Amino acid sequence: MSTYKLYYFNGRGRAEISRLIFAAAGQKYEDVRFEREQWPGHKSEMPLGQVPVLEVDGTKLPQSTSMARFLAKQFQLAGKDNFEQAKVDAVVDTINDAITKFLPSRMEQDEAKKQELMNKFFADELPAHLQQLEVLGKLYGNGGAFFVGNQLTWADLYLFEMTNNLLQANGNCLDKHAWLKQNRAEVEKQPKIAEYIKNRPQTPF
Amino acid sequence: MSTYKLYYFDGRGRGEISRLILAAAGQKFEDIRYQKNEWPSHKSEMPLGQIPVLEIDGIKLPQSMTIARFLARQFHLTGKDNLEQAKVEAVADTATDLLNKFGPIIWYQEEPQKKASIDEFFANELPKHLRNLETLAKAYNEGSSFFVGKNLTFADLCVYDVLENILEVDANILDQYPWLKTNGQKVAKHPNVAIYLESRLRTAF
Repeated sequence: MSTYKLYYFNGRGRAEISRLIFAAAGQKYEDVRFEREQWPGHKSEMPLGQVPVLEVDGTKLPQSTSMARFLAKQFQLAGKDNFEQAKVDAVVDTINDAITKFLPSRMEQDEAKKQELMNKFFADELPAHLQQLEVLGKLYGNGGAFFVGNQLTWADLYLFEMTNNLLQANGNCLDKHAWLKQNRAEVEKQPKIAEYIKNRPQTPF
Repeated sequence: MSTYKLYYFDGRGRGEISRLILAAAGQKFEDIRYQKNEWPSHKSEMPLGQIPVLEIDGIKLPQSMTIARFLARQFHLTGKDNLEQAKVEAVADTATDLLNKFGPIIWYQEEPQKKASIDEFFANELPKHLRNLETLAKAYNEGSSFFVGKNLTFADLCVYDVLENILEVDANILDQYPWLKTNGQKVAKHPNVAIYLESRLRTAF
């Protein structure tokens, strides 16, 4: 029985996908959350001076996506063979591409500039990414509502988390994307996920 | 026996890591290279309108790192269990962070901005990435000259590929990083890799 410790800030950010995987798997873990003023005192304890970090039986793993992939594989949420895992990974990488483009507007402090960047992102950038995700859903989803192989994988969990953040900023952004909306609905219905979402801390990011 | 087809531009860029893995594995594949003027007519054949794409037995897989991870798992060039694979991927992600900062400068920028960006990158960005790579090596290499465990994995190939691009600009960047220098030499001397590097055609990127 391995022990798991997740280190991050007190927020969803780049750690939430790992928390969702733990929740879907029903796996206990220590959810260490640093407040902003605590973080400098812990930075040097982390391999790359960054969080999130996953500690598995005392070994520290940095890099949010690799950590999540490890957990997904541990708990059979990654795809049932190498090829399925690759399809799931392709979806995850495509979601990460969208997140990378979303971040500048999310992190902008100046309100006027933030609004401008957000508008530009939603109008000019996001549609192509959402379209790409639907292409992959149709290509790998076997006609079902999950991204790969007719069952829940961490690709579905990752889309769910990203679109939560998008919808908070723009409630209409999925209006033209029925398949993605349906995929979200499937994730929300999962009992362990629904329970987790209900009880998780509400944080600004 | 699966058949593999790799579609990319006629250059290293984001496709070379997969070619290195296939070479290290001694696996034959169809190495399709589009010239810049050929690419537009093939764009719509690719799931996300992007390359590289790997086609395995007729099914297309996009996303350069997903392709690399899949091939590494197929040919046992990743860690031997889930935790080791996560270490390999953490190293590969860290190398990719570096490529994502350096790649756009050499691939897309024009002079004189290119030289200014390169100087800025060498002064302010590169050192911390090289330090991060050495930190992970010390944490995971069990005292060996390879990044994870005691054998060649795609972590070593990924770092080799990324650093090749930077060494082309300044051959001395690893002078202060003896472990990385030795690791690169070991990769280049690996029998299958050595043969590949010797016969590989020079390209502009």
